[in-house]
Amino acid sequence: MRNKTILLLGAAIALGALGVAAFGPIAFAQGASGPFTQAQVTAGHEAFDANCAPCHLQDLAGTNDAPALAGAPFMGAWGKRTTAQLYSKIATTMPLGQGGSLSEAQYTAIVAYILGRNGARAGNAAFTPASAVQIDTIANGRAPAGSATVAQNSGRQESAPAAGQAPAQSNFARAMAGQRVADPGAFGLPAKFGLSLEGNIQNYVPVTEAMMVNPPDSDWMMFRRNYQGWSYSPLNQINTGNVGSLQLKWMWSMPENGTMEITPIVHNGVMFVWGTGNTVQALNASTGELLWENRLGPAPRRPGPGPSTEETRSLGLWGNNVYVNTPYGYLYALDARTGKEVWKTHITDELKIPGGNGTMFGGSTGGVIIIKGRVLVGMTNCGRNGDDNHCYISAYDAATGKRDWKFITTALTGQPGGDSWGKLPDNMRKGAETWIAGTYDPELNTTYWGTAQAKPWRRDLRGSGDGATNYANSTLALDPESGKLKWWYQHAPGESLDLDEVFERVLINHGAEKYLLTIGKPGILWKIDRATGKFIAATPTVFNNVYENFDAKTGKVVYRKDIRDQKVDQWLSSCPGPEGGHDWQATSYHQPSDTIIIPLSQSCVFMLGNGSQTYFEMPGTDGNMGRLSAYRAADLKPLWSFQQRAPFLTGVISTAGNVAFVGDFDRVFRAVDVRSGKTLWKTRLATTVQGYPVTFSVDGKQYVAVTTGLGGGSPQLKPGTMLTEVHRPPHGFALYVFGLPDDK
Amino acid sequence: MSRKLLLTLAFAAIVTQAFAADYQTNLGPMPLDDETKLVIGGRGEATASSDGKTMTVKGSFHGLLSNATEAHVFISPVCGVPGKAIFDLDVTKATSGTISGNFKLSGAQATALRTGKLYIQINSEKAPEVYPWGPKGNLWGWLFPAHETAGANVPQQDHWFIPQLDTPCAKDAENA
Repeated sequence: MRNKTILLLGAAIALGALGVAAFGPIAFAQGASGPFTQAQVTAGHEAFDANCAPCHLQDLAGTNDAPALAGAPFMGAWGKRTTAQLYSKIATTMPLGQGGSLSEAQYTAIVAYILGRNGARAGNAAFTPASAVQIDTIANGRAPAGSATVAQNSGRQESAPAAGQAPAQSNFARAMAGQRVADPGAFGLPAKFGLSLEGNIQNYVPVTEAMMVNPPDSDWMMFRRNYQGWSYSPLNQINTGNVGSLQLKWMWSMPENGTMEITPIVHNGVMFVWGTGNTVQALNASTGELLWENRLGPAPRRPGPGPSTEETRSLGLWGNNVYVNTPYGYLYALDARTGKEVWKTHITDELKIPGGNGTMFGGSTGGVIIIKGRVLVGMTNCGRNGDDNHCYISAYDAATGKRDWKFITTALTGQPGGDSWGKLPDNMRKGAETWIAGTYDPELNTTYWGTAQAKPWRRDLRGSGDGATNYANSTLALDPESGKLKWWYQHAPGESLDLDEVFERVLINHGAEKYLLTIGKPGILWKIDRATGKFIAATPTVFNNVYENFDAKTGKVVYRKDIRDQKVDQWLSSCPGPEGGHDWQATSYHQPSDTIIIPLSQSCVFMLGNGSQTYFEMPGTDGNMGRLSAYRAADLKPLWSFQQRAPFLTGVISTAGNVAFVGDFDRVFRAVDVRSGKTLWKTRLATTVQGYPVTFSVDGKQYVAVTTGLGGGSPQLKPGTMLTEVHRPPHGFALYVFGLPDDK
Repeated sequence: MSRKLLLTLAFAAIVTQAFAADYQTNLGPMPLDDETKLVIGGRGEATASSDGKTMTVKGSFHGLLSNATEAHVFISPVCGVPGKAIFDLDVTKATSGTISGNFKLSGAQATALRTGKLYIQINSEKAPEVYPWGPKGNLWGWLFPAHETAGANVPQQDHWFIPQLDTPCAKDAENA
């Protein structure tokens, strides 16, 4: 009976998620007549595709922080509420970060469209903000037969355009056509794509394996500078004694719109940086002069800040190439000297969403790591219940782009851990995305990756019962040459609240002992033996109420009973919420003092259904959402910590000068003393300081670089709602480079 | 003085000390989204003192977006999870003011206080109990044992307050 119920539920979810087929005029012929007209549905379809689909997807299946708006998840969350409440929620909060930016006619039409997609039938009365009908009296969550998923003229552009091609009906064009947006000035979309400035960098030094294993002190040539993911530089020219005199050396405006959380990497005096619209640029790292630019495209899907699915977090270098993974799942090799495309492939085999008019499964937002001539890359948004696709980590020949191997990150039937999904068939085992690139131990010849939770993230929707759902929310140890799994350690079996354990794996040695440290959204700092995968130690870093029991001696976690028994129409408290604890803002390991410095966030949520949330301050924090804490890696002893109202939106870096740098939501970029946490210097930038700072030197002078940017998921969404006193410009994507004053 | 009397006095002193702790909370907005933040705002502070059998609550608030209407002490199953009102507090019916109350505690309530499961909630005209979307009210805050706090950006060395590490667990409280 239980299995039958699960199968029925799964079928309902699959129907809701897969949605409906071909578009054109929709005739809703099922369910009771709704308080809206067919004309509103038609208009709502257009408005939805332009404003909502970038996050909720065109089939309303939802993704990441954007909940499903169709099927069982939607009906569970909204069935007992009224159409007026749905309107109010959407009109005041959507599009993300731009609530109220559309017209009343657009909002009412969008509500009509959503109701129609859930089986409500159009009637004669037009929907108004005051139309209050309980939703489950007119809709049943089932899409009408014969309807379609994609508008013929939606304007979406999922594939990268050919060089020189103009963006067809871009968001800019929509804004120019009169669509109301929050900030009509925030458009910096290119007129055409392709190599807009060809470079001619002389004396470029090809990157070798030896350089990757022992990076030159002057460089920051990969995600977190070294294979071990330390985010630490041996440079010490800028130190605790002089950092107070730091000054701006140059800045560079970046493409606006979309989402930017990038690492500007530096090699041999050249900085390579990714901007929204997949604009890749090379700059003279000491002067800010543009050396080449390749606009890979496509443009962001809508004006203003974008979702977390529209970015990448780091580039990679190897030989004479720079490697770029794009949010739509492409992997490029560009010539680092000229910017010209060397090769291009698609990591998801160009899988199409059924009936999706070219919309492709699978993105890639976590940057790359290059090991022994292979480009390793992870995935996000890969596969939905009922299809045969899964998330995987894959490796490509750096010279040719040919795929070498792939490792599917969900344990399938017959594989180790494959019995941890209850009786779910393989095509219902989803998630375990890898949206942060891994690290690498050359001595053990092992690459380490974190995975996200299983999908759907709620166990009641997933149908996996109390199953652990391997290899979700785990640390994976893989052979980089074959992709073979060496071991895995699951931090949060059966996760159910969007609390990823996907972030940085930091590799630390204490004598002959080889450890891996990591921390996820639940805020538990983990220490694992990276040779064996054996648990060593763990400690909580923020308040946590989702675990009924956490055993620091064994690492075993037990979720609260109401979470284990969760139901889709029930509000659940989660501390931390999906902002973390800890999120993508990476830690720094200051090797000289054996200190790991962690950006933490302190917020909680109430979650209803698959992602509908309200947010509140974490108990015991006095309203401070941001915390920066330092622990000794050897024994996880707390060293120092400070709080502030705004959360930190950059990774932390530290240097041999005993200085750590970090930026925050409220535009402050600061330097602190690694040994005490005391702030030594700070400045205020154009908008949120967001991304991964780096430090490097050119001609003997040390610099510190950081980006400002907007967009993203919970780390932007939660403070954007809760910090009502913080006012940020809705634009200001830029790159800043600081240094000491020049000698007189 | 007999050995038995000495032991009795010593035990009484230990018990009194165990229940003499003070408690504190910062009252922050109840759950927000872009819709509810239009009616929910403000901040406050409160303390509680207890001898294990009674509890005295004092506090203040300011910046509400509408007049306060009522305030209560709640008991929750887990810190951060809403619970049930157990005491009514006196509250100033304005956007700023004070809260106060004296109460007798049952054994379970005293244990809840010691283990971080009592919280204070203030409701207001625009953020009442009947709000239709999620947990309801205007300001709330969980009472925790008094602890050292530092201002924004002021580092604390070696130790800082993390509720589940620094609040006695239920088992300890029951054994006290």
